[in-house]
Amino acid sequence: MSKDLKLENITKVFGTLVAVDRVNLEIKEGEFVCLLGPSGCGKTTILRMITGFETPTEGKVIYDGKVINNLMPQQRDFGIIFQSYALFPNMNVHDNIAFGLKMRKAPKKAMIKRVGEMLDLVGLYDWRKNYPAQLSGGQQQRVALARALAPNPSVLLLDEPLSALDAKIRVRLRAVIKRLQQELGITMIYVTHDQEEALAIADRVVVMELGKIKQEGTPLEIYKFPKSSFVADFVGTSNFFEGKRQRDKVRFKDWEFLVPGAETMAADEIYLAIRPEKIEVMRPGEMPEEAERSNLAHGRIEVITFLGAVVRLVISMDGEEIICDVVEKDFELKNLNRGDAVDLYFPPEAFLAYPSSSAEASPE
Amino acid sequence: MDKAAIDTYAQPLVKFKIDKFIIIVVTICITIALVFFMLFPIGTILKMSFIKEGGFTLENYFKYFQNPRISRSLYNSFYVSTITMAITTILAFFYAYALQRTTIRGKGFFYIIAFMPLIAPSIMQALALIFLFGRNGLITAHLLKIPWSIYGAPGIIASEILYCFPHAVVILYTTLSAVDTRLDEAAQSLGASSLKVFWKVTVPSAKYGLVSAAALTFNLTITDFGNPVVIGGDYNVLATEIYAQVTNLFRFDLGATISVILLVPSICAFLINYYITRRSFALISGAARPFLQPSRTFKKWGFTIYCALISLAIMLIFATVILGSFVKVWPYDWTLTLKHFDFPSLGGYASIWTSFKVSVAVGLLGAFFTLIAGYIVEKKRPLGVEFLYLLSVMPAAIPGLVMGLGYILAFNEPYYFFYGTPWIIVICVVVCNFTLGTLSSVANLKNIDPSVEEAAISLGADSVRVFIRVIFPLSMVAFVQNFIYFFMRAMTTISAVIFLVSATVHLAAIEIIQLDNDGWTASANAMTTCIIAIVVGMLVLLKLLAGGRGFAGFGGATSAPSA
Repeated sequence: MSKDLKLENITKVFGTLVAVDRVNLEIKEGEFVCLLGPSGCGKTTILRMITGFETPTEGKVIYDGKVINNLMPQQRDFGIIFQSYALFPNMNVHDNIAFGLKMRKAPKKAMIKRVGEMLDLVGLYDWRKNYPAQLSGGQQQRVALARALAPNPSVLLLDEPLSALDAKIRVRLRAVIKRLQQELGITMIYVTHDQEEALAIADRVVVMELGKIKQEGTPLEIYKFPKSSFVADFVGTSNFFEGKRQRDKVRFKDWEFLVPGAETMAADEIYLAIRPEKIEVMRPGEMPEEAERSNLAHGRIEVITFLGAVVRLVISMDGEEIICDVVEKDFELKNLNRGDAVDLYFPPEAFLAYPSSSAEASPE
Repeated sequence: MDKAAIDTYAQPLVKFKIDKFIIIVVTICITIALVFFMLFPIGTILKMSFIKEGGFTLENYFKYFQNPRISRSLYNSFYVSTITMAITTILAFFYAYALQRTTIRGKGFFYIIAFMPLIAPSIMQALALIFLFGRNGLITAHLLKIPWSIYGAPGIIASEILYCFPHAVVILYTTLSAVDTRLDEAAQSLGASSLKVFWKVTVPSAKYGLVSAAALTFNLTITDFGNPVVIGGDYNVLATEIYAQVTNLFRFDLGATISVILLVPSICAFLINYYITRRSFALISGAARPFLQPSRTFKKWGFTIYCALISLAIMLIFATVILGSFVKVWPYDWTLTLKHFDFPSLGGYASIWTSFKVSVAVGLLGAFFTLIAGYIVEKKRPLGVEFLYLLSVMPAAIPGLVMGLGYILAFNEPYYFFYGTPWIIVICVVVCNFTLGTLSSVANLKNIDPSVEEAAISLGADSVRVFIRVIFPLSMVAFVQNFIYFFMRAMTTISAVIFLVSATVHLAAIEIIQLDNDGWTASANAMTTCIIAIVVGMLVLLKLLAGGRGFAGFGGATSAPSA
């Protein structure tokens, strides 16, 4: 039987605060799952219930077919990575990594061999005699990884492991974690509030808000088809328009956007979301022939920000600020400058529509 | 990767059944120990003072207040304590101010001198003052040739000021370091004169520290036994009256009654201090900066002279006691001699050895149990932890003399095997000083990232191994500090142990009183010198062993027993 992890109707209440509200989640053996959400959404509490540091108020944590609610953290075969690294300052790198093996009374020879393997795995063999205080943040977190992996846990739980690090090291270590997960085939549950990190690293992303799961799916699904305006807003960047439905169009101020499927929606008040890179920015009059006339608008470039491969423009559309991302090459080609008048085209199929009364229902 | 080999021993090796209960069991054990060794003796004292022939009565209290000779001790205690409190607080405030807020030279020197009195028993001041200002005093009788002598209230007040000074300085030094000096600068930039800034900004912003220092000084003075018994003469205070009733008259009921009366102001002072300390923590802002503008010449000289005078007074006390133990006949024959070190009393050198052994035991047990108590209170928080916390901070409210009396009343039964052995002394001193040890352990444990502990647990360590392998090594500095604190208290305390020494168990600090009582004043000084030497020796030894770390918190470890 494969060692799957299952959360059944799991709930955690602190005093009057419902931190986690009837969450159901299944994680397959060898899967890399990211719990993503703003702070206070309950993602860390879920992780702590899996580790055993918190006991669920209700519901079951099931692992390998057995309910493990009442097992102590030591009895669960899970490794944990903390945001603060949590290395033992009184032990050197070698002893830190050996700790879990010592606790399991591993024979000395096997232990030394295993620690050596782990040191190689994270590339810190030359640092084995150093103390945590002598290492950089990135190195410390790699030691923490080696330490957690040394006893060969079947699940690794990571609680915002990279939040305390610089942007550059964050990206590098992200790749290390991903590689380790693929090489070792270990189940990883990764908690983060950084949507970019979640999309980059996970097989499956679970987006949470206020103790509930809002959506789960592959990074691509989450990004392309957010099921609610919350997810559309939290994952990636989106422009939002709140308008009224009129047959197959949605009226927002003076514009009437054609939105496929709008006429089948039940609600009249509609939230429209569109990703910045989906909006086409053109010099006036360069409109493509096949374009839908009503989805065209005029604007003026207010702010230009270089982000490297893309250029982010803030365009004022009758006082409404729209964010558009243009590929750097196009940007140069079109010779856009601050203050320029431009045409904006919103491709109908790029719109995601949500009923604005409930941000939950699925888009059409 | 040798996965199979790892898997073979990857089974949990924790004794989980035991581990689930170990914290609860330890909590219950410490709670029971504190109840048994603190509440039970105090309860016995209350019982003895209120209950006679099986019924509740206030007879003892009527008796106390009807006898003007005894009831005078209440007034006397308040009189000397109030005056000591006022003078010490003011002196210590300006001293701490000089160290924190001026740019005088020699701050390190003045700082160390201020804390010197902590290494000696609270009897040294009285011994020295008698040598200087007594009937045969060097200054009064021989230099000034005046008939005045210091015995009685002036002597008690003078010696208590010198004894309490470091305790008050610790509090005010911390307070003044915490208050943002930019407040002063802002006021000055608004055109306030220096004197006005001092009265309108500096003093009010240190008001919690001032009240706290005052309450502590009052408490220390009213509960002190060593100084008044030597220098008080006929001037009886509550502490000496308890001793007189019990030891000379065998009136245990009256001794218990006076103990209860002494408990009242002592508990009040403790509560004020406890409340204030909590409040003042809020004032310690992260914005506080230790930047100082150079003091003007006049201010600088004024404070330098002030600090020098106080330091001189403290050093004079030490010099007198030490010199007094090496000269033939103070102040007539200044030939150096070692004959005062041939202690003519029962205990002699054996008492010093016993004191040392007892102090090491107190140091180790005190540091260990306060670390465990702190760990449970700060990190584990099992059900009922509030009660354990209350018990842990209570000892500071109970005068050592009262605790000691409680011990002989409660444990003087054949089945209490530890009664009459050095162990009862060890237990009593540990319990008497439990508060500060626990508080400093808690403060240290607050600095340990909770994730570190969770990491150890997730790697398979049970509670005991988490404690031994992670918490204890990370608490080493606090442990050494607490060891020093408990060791010093055990070497120097008189009041907590005076009732507990017996015909077979002698302690150095108590020998001082006995030697002085029997007229061997120079030998009393010599005994004091021995204690000072041992404490200094231990401090130096630990400083060498800990590479200076042991000293880092020297000031902290010595701060207020009722902090």
